[in-house]
Amino acid sequence: MRLKTRHRAGIVCAAVGLVFTGFSLRLIHLQVNKHEEYSKIAAAKHSIRQPIFARRGLIQDRNGEILAANVPVRRVVLDGSHVNNATELARVAAPYLEMDAAELAKQFVTEKRFVVISRELPEEKSLQLRKELVAKSLKGLSFPEATTRLYPNGEMLSHVIGFLGRKDLADDNLLGVEGIERSFEEHLRGQDGFRHIERDRTGREIVVYRGQEQSPRNGATVELTIDMGLQAIVEAELDAACAEVRPATAVAVLANPWTGEILAMASRPNFDPNNLKNTSPEMMKNRVIMDVVEPGSTFKIVVSSAALTERVVNHKTQIFCENGRFFYAGRTLRDHRGYGQMSVHDILVKSSNIGCAKMALMLGEDKYYEYVRGFGFGERSGIALPGESAGILQPPHRWDKLTITRMPMGHSIAVTPLQMTMAMGAIANGGKLMRPQIVRSVRDVDGNEIVTMNPEVVRQVVPEDTARFVSAALAAVTGPGGTAKLANVPGFETAGKTGTAQKVDPNGGYTPGKYVVSFLGYLPAENPAFVCLVMIDDAKLSSGLNYGGLVAAPIFARIGEKAARYMNLVPSLKAEAALPLAFHQGGNLGQEVRP
Amino acid sequence: MKTDIEYRRHSNPLHIAPLFRWLIIAAMMGASGLIFVYVKNQQHQLGVKTREVERQIVEEKALNEVLLARISSLSSRAELMRKLQQGFIVLRPIQDNAIARLTPPSQGGSEGLARTAATESFVR
Repeated sequence: MRLKTRHRAGIVCAAVGLVFTGFSLRLIHLQVNKHEEYSKIAAAKHSIRQPIFARRGLIQDRNGEILAANVPVRRVVLDGSHVNNATELARVAAPYLEMDAAELAKQFVTEKRFVVISRELPEEKSLQLRKELVAKSLKGLSFPEATTRLYPNGEMLSHVIGFLGRKDLADDNLLGVEGIERSFEEHLRGQDGFRHIERDRTGREIVVYRGQEQSPRNGATVELTIDMGLQAIVEAELDAACAEVRPATAVAVLANPWTGEILAMASRPNFDPNNLKNTSPEMMKNRVIMDVVEPGSTFKIVVSSAALTERVVNHKTQIFCENGRFFYAGRTLRDHRGYGQMSVHDILVKSSNIGCAKMALMLGEDKYYEYVRGFGFGERSGIALPGESAGILQPPHRWDKLTITRMPMGHSIAVTPLQMTMAMGAIANGGKLMRPQIVRSVRDVDGNEIVTMNPEVVRQVVPEDTARFVSAALAAVTGPGGTAKLANVPGFETAGKTGTAQKVDPNGGYTPGKYVVSFLGYLPAENPAFVCLVMIDDAKLSSGLNYGGLVAAPIFARIGEKAARYMNLVPSLKAEAALPLAFHQGGNLGQEVRP
Repeated sequence: MKTDIEYRRHSNPLHIAPLFRWLIIAAMMGASGLIFVYVKNQQHQLGVKTREVERQIVEEKALNEVLLARISSLSSRAELMRKLQQGFIVLRPIQDNAIARLTPPSQGGSEGLARTAATESFVR
């Protein structure tokens, strides 16, 4: 009997022991063998790597004026599994989200755990909405932080600053798409931080279990060389000109010839980066660096500088200008007027096509081409903006017989307005081609400069005495008998060159009655503070009025006068009583005006 | 004569000392557990407060940035020009002889910079 009892007890104990051994084995299996697998599942449910977004860097002008800032907003995200009253939630949220309550209620009835309802709810609105949701115990919406970009100046300088966009609609990260926003994306973006957190059943963070954390590195501030005071002057004058002559496009650039710094840059048409809905790609083009045009007579500075440097001519050389008709390679090249013997100085002042063609012939194709390249044509200038064009310059072996006579007057070549400006800058500063600078420095959040842009001389294109000689001729262009009297700025000796080129037809040849007119100059001629290009494409004027000296030169003069005042330049000449003429005063403009 | 075994069989004496020791140990363990739970709760409460303070800081920072953006917008050149055009502000010409200059006007390009009266006072 006793043995039987003991036997039974032994069996029960063994059974219990076996059961617990089974439990233990299972526990070991779960804790050891399946540890990784279940840890991952648990972590996926409760642990997340919460991003801490870096603030995008600011863009400022050279005086610290903010050109691109950040505005905090909130995304509105729905977790369908937490919604406790979809109808009421929709009714409360609809006015804040500016959406229809009924439609919103339909969206709220879902099992999906992550539905983006709105990407940019203003911070104040989100605060009010959150308070109301808490007060009414409504659940299901969360409001992750986000930022949007604000461009306080709207359309002003929009082509240079650029704008942000998303890689695709589902992507929340904004990237620079155009302008400085794109070219300095790496510096502006910064680096997001993160924090490992655990959440409870309701999705709230359990702060006690906070894990590893890395602070974000905010984006750097990019300081431009642009001076918004000068930019405002340029933009206002360009707007006035566009209203007056309704061109297809218009550009203006203001640069410091000594450093290559771009002080102002504007293109028309333009766009508002704060509102891209009604913006076409054509409006977004920065025409100063993207458009290529035949420059016309402004290009004559290249051949005259080259001929003087190579000593094929000197200041005394007289060139016979064929009385206005030069028959070469089966075609006749004409001047605006018939000229006989002329010096290089007079050829520039009178803008003789024949004189320039003859100088190029004296130089020879290869030598002339060398100088054209030397002035920076046919290659990108290297400005820190995306989408720059190199222009179109064919090597001499692809030239026809006429090219050598057409290129000196700015045909058979296509250049960007920026290339032209920098080439003129080389004449203004004594022969040095400067690399154009649009960014002055990049500073981190502590104000330390991490990138400093120093003026960079690309090359000495022509000697200083040649540049001085050409400069003297260009100063006479705005004087009596020159082609650009209207470019004269009272109180300052102004140097420059007009350009009038027939517009190239995309289908070949030229478009009759359509012109690209320009004025490219600098002041004060003796010690230039800035070089400025004004280029107007297809002004709605009669052909008899559509000349660089008539259309672009007065705009240059008005920009020059205001810029000189803004820059505190001391007048070197006794100012004439006359102020720069406006368009409506164009009726009494001299008959001397030429291309 | 009763042996020890018989004595134990018929009596159940309390051994106070070991019992007290075990009671103390149990009480300490219980108290430790309770303290642990209390501290854990306190930690949790502190976490909740931390989160709340963080949320407030984030909100304040965000509102600050909103206001800064609004200030930049309202003081931007485009906005000033709009105000000028609409007559909210006016520019009054000042004759050169009415300006007292502490420093001579700078020549543009003398140091490679475009300088204005405003930038002269701008210290970074």
